[in-house]
Order: sequence, then structure tokens, then C-alpha cells
Amino acid sequence: MSSAVQVARGPALDTTAQVETPEHIRFDYPLAGPTRRALAYLIDLLIRGGVLLVVGVVVMLVDTATGLDGMSIGALFVFYFVLDWFYYVLFETIWSGRSPGKRALKLRVVGQDGHSLTVLDSVLRNLLRAADFLPFGYSVGLVVMARDPMFRRLGDMVAGTVVVVEDPGRISERLHLHPPPTPAELEAMPARPPVSRQELDAIELLLRRRGTLAPLRELELAELLAPLLAERMAVSYQDPVRFLGLIYARALGHETIAPVEQPHPTRPGGGRR
Amino acid sequence: MSAGQSQDEFIARRRASWKELEQLLVLGKELHRSAPAEISRAASLYRSVCADLMRARAQFGPDVVRYLDGLAGRAHNLLYGTRAYRLAGLWELLVRDFPRTLRRRWQFFALANALFYLPFILGMLGALASVEFAETVLPSQTLARMESMYEQGFYAGRDVHEDSQMAGFYVLNNVGIAFRCFATGILFGLGSLFYSIYNGMVIGVVIGWVIRAGHGGNILTFVCGHGPFEQTAVVISAAAGLQMGWALVKTDGLTRMGSLRAQGKELGHLIVGAAAMLVIAAVIEGYWSPSAAPPELKWAASGVFILFVTAWLSLGGRRRRGARPVGARPEGAGASR
Repeated sequence: MSSAVQVARGPALDTTAQVETPEHIRFDYPLAGPTRRALAYLIDLLIRGGVLLVVGVVVMLVDTATGLDGMSIGALFVFYFVLDWFYYVLFETIWSGRSPGKRALKLRVVGQDGHSLTVLDSVLRNLLRAADFLPFGYSVGLVVMARDPMFRRLGDMVAGTVVVVEDPGRISERLHLHPPPTPAELEAMPARPPVSRQELDAIELLLRRRGTLAPLRELELAELLAPLLAERMAVSYQDPVRFLGLIYARALGHETIAPVEQPHPTRPGGGRR
Repeated sequence: MSAGQSQDEFIARRRASWKELEQLLVLGKELHRSAPAEISRAASLYRSVCADLMRARAQFGPDVVRYLDGLAGRAHNLLYGTRAYRLAGLWELLVRDFPRTLRRRWQFFALANALFYLPFILGMLGALASVEFAETVLPSQTLARMESMYEQGFYAGRDVHEDSQMAGFYVLNNVGIAFRCFATGILFGLGSLFYSIYNGMVIGVVIGWVIRAGHGGNILTFVCGHGPFEQTAVVISAAAGLQMGWALVKTDGLTRMGSLRAQGKELGHLIVGAAAMLVIAAVIEGYWSPSAAPPELKWAASGVFILFVTAWLSLGGRRRRGARPVGARPEGAGASR
């Protein structure tokens, strides 16, 4: 069962882990790298420090005010101990794999079998922080993480857990040409452009990446395909990107690609949590 | 894309469902606290998103796949993420699984005992026999402080305020030692090895030294109460650490990581059990050991504690003769989760 999570083999470009669910659905989780996890750790550290400070001051005040005279210092020790060793276990259990720091950075600990981590897993991975921490500042953990394709520290390996990023992502916007294609432009195209499915897919990928590509890069990529298609269709073009966009609009057989009748049915960023 | 629906049409058609599921996710509520209708709605939405994901992966671009991946992943965690955790489970672990695991992996427990008690005896005899030996192990100031600490004995009882402070401090200290004994075992067992020997040697020398100074009754009466719990817990932690280290050496055909992982459940049993024993030890050490109770009573209590620990570890989780193994998991199912 522990083989349910695996790193996509082949040339490892993406740091993702695949989780297969009992329904045999596979999804890719982006794995969390050391930087992101270190930031989450810092947040948790600050929270623990803050809590200890506040509780410490309150205990001291109560102590002196009620004349307990040092009686509650022992309790403070115990509180510190619980905070130190069980802060993570507590939150990872009640928030299924997220401490406040992880929550802030959209991280989650999940079991390798794709299920949420159990209390025992959480105890193991967090006790082993003592080993990952050696000799100081999580040095061992960092080295181990750097050598592991799933960014696991020792505690993760023993507990069988991985830390993943839960990025809500965004629904892509509708494709549209700016400005909308003119009737003249569409007329210049064959009604059924002689392009293959693969070529159309390539064009769509390019069009969907508009805005994330630098203009020159976009031009460069478009120039890879546009001349071939222009030659095949015996037409000429000026802007290769627009030319490919027109082909795409024409090939799909409907010109809804132009947002004239349907102004923005989807908002950018509408998919955020 | 050209065949069937385009990505845009697909998104437009399914978007409402995705948004609805997102709304449920944003609530961030544990699902088992939601209304039944909401739970089944979330489950059905999740399944439809899974189908969408499969479809998107086959036909559509990486952006929509990434979005659906994230959505399905979060929904999966919400639906399958809430595992019931109950105190009864902890109780069962302590009285049943913990002693069983310890007995099944008795070799490591035996080894850890040897690694602690041999240096302990050596240190004690050494400190009794030679001042130089004791001063090689520990600085003479430390030894002097130990000596003065046990000079008076505890018949007068310590200050109750002090007790509370001490109890807290002992918890910190001992649990720290035990957990370090365990965690450093991942360095092929070397950490557990080192901490066990070191710990045994230091404690042995301190006791030997105090006996030599003529306060042996005081220190032994002091440690006899919490010792059975505390040292057993530290030894068990070391045993778990050694088991972890050994898993890296003898992998039984698994990868080293797989072999380590296969120990996870057993290690969890051992370490949670050890932690529970340490809590008991800390209470005794903080409030009973330094109390004004007469030494005879303390030794009697110590006998009871030893019997209790022995019974717990050797009898806990054994099936009664003739009893039907209700709810008992088959032995050797340790690797299944």
C-alpha cells in the first residue's frame, strides 16, 4: 500500500507526487520544498514562542498575585514540554496534517498511501525532528531532503509521509483574440484549415500561455509553426501569433473565441479559495 | 479538443460544480461535523471532479488539469481526512499493542538493557573503586554537587513549591533523553548506542560516587520509586532506536527506506508506550520520591511499581486462555495500516 505515492519517473522535471485513491483516481500533488517548509517552521516557531511568552507572563503574574510563590513554575515547565514535543502532533491531528505555519503556507502532511496521516504517523515524524535537527538547525533533515526525490526528511521517511502544497490554482480563462477577428480576417482563412489535431493542440497550448510568456518568446514559438501552416494554406500573415489564433478559431468551426457576444463569462482569479 | 467539447465548453459546463465544491472546502469544517446532506453532496461532487480530472488529463491543457488536481486533492483530504481519534484507541495501544510489540521485538529490548545496565554497573563499581575513574567520567564539581544533594536525605520532605518545579523539570529532562535515545537511532542505531552507554555510565558513576560518600541509602531510596518506570522507558526508547537503525542494515529485500517504513507502526507503539511510562515516572519523581514518606514505605512502593511494570510489559495484550480473540488483529499484521 505504501507504494501508492510515487514520484513520476523519467526525467524528473516537476516535483510532484502521485497519489492514487481507492477509487483508482490518480492526482498529482506538488511537493513542498525545503524553503517553503522552513518558512512554515519559522511561523510555527514564532507562534510557540509567543504562546510560551504570554502564558509565562500570565503564570508569573498569577503566581505572585495569589502568593503561590513559585508553585506554578512546575506547571509552566510541563506546558513548555508539551508545547515543544506535541504542538505539531496536536495540530496535525485535529487539522488533518496542517500546523498553523503549514496552513499559512498552504502545506499539508499526507500519508504516502494517499490518506491523511494518523496520530501515530504524526508522533513518529515529529519525534524524529530530534534526529533531523542534528547537529544544529535541521542540517541532517536538509541534506536528507535534498537527496530525496519527494523532499522527505528522516521523520517523513519513517512515518511514511510527504508534505504537499495545496495550491488552489485557477480555472483558465476563455480563449479570445484581442482585438476580435474581423470578418475580413476570417474570410482570408480557409473555412476548414488543413491542420491536424496535434497542431491544434499545440496552438491552443500557446494561446493559453499568453500573458505568461514574454512577447518575444511568444513570437519565437509562434514562428516555429506559423510558416509551415502558411505555406500549406498558401496564405501570408503579418503577426504569427494572431495568425495561429485565427486558424484556431476557424478550425473549431465557431468564432466564440471572440468575446463579442459573451463578455468574460469567467473572471480571472475566480477560482481562488 | 477538436473532437467533442472544447476546453472552454467543458469548463463552462462543469464550473458550477467545481465552485460548489470549493465553497464546501472553503468552510474548512471537519466533514464529520457537517450535515449529512452536505457530506453526501461533497462526496458526489468529489467523484464528479475525479471524472472531470481524468477527462481533462486525456484531452485538455495543463492549466485545467492542475486546477482539477488541486481541487480533487483538497476534496480527497476533506473526505478521507477526518479519521476518528478516540481516547479508547490510546488506551488499547498502551495496554495491548505496546507490550505485544515489545515482546515481539524482545531482542532489541534485551540489547538496549545490556547497553544501559552494563555501563551502569561498570560505572558504579568504577566510582566505588577509584576516585580517578569517577573524575574521568564526570567533572569533580558535578560529583561534589551530587554528593551534597543527597547528603540530607528526604526524610524531612522537600518544599512543596520546589516539588512542583522539580516535577516539571524532570519531565523535560527525562523525556528529552528518551526521545533523543530513540530519534538518533536512525543513524544506523549509533545514536541510541551512544546515548545508552553514556547515560548508563553517568548514572552509574553518580550512584557509585554517592554510595562511596556514605549517602547510598539516600540516593537509592530516592530513585527506587520512579526508577522502574523511568529507566525502563528510556531503555524502551533506545530499543526502538536500535530497531530503527537495524532496519537500515537488514532490509529483507526492501529498499532501505521501505525497510525503515515497515517498522513505522511498531516504532509508534513503542515510543508512545515509553512516553506514557515517562509521564508516570515524572509524577512519581516530582511528588513521591522526594516526599517525607519513610524509606520502608518507599521501598515497598518500589516493589509494587516493579511488579506493575513487569506485569504490564509481560502480560499486557496476551489472550486469555480459551478466550475468543475478539477484535484481535492477526499477529504479524504490523506492516498493514
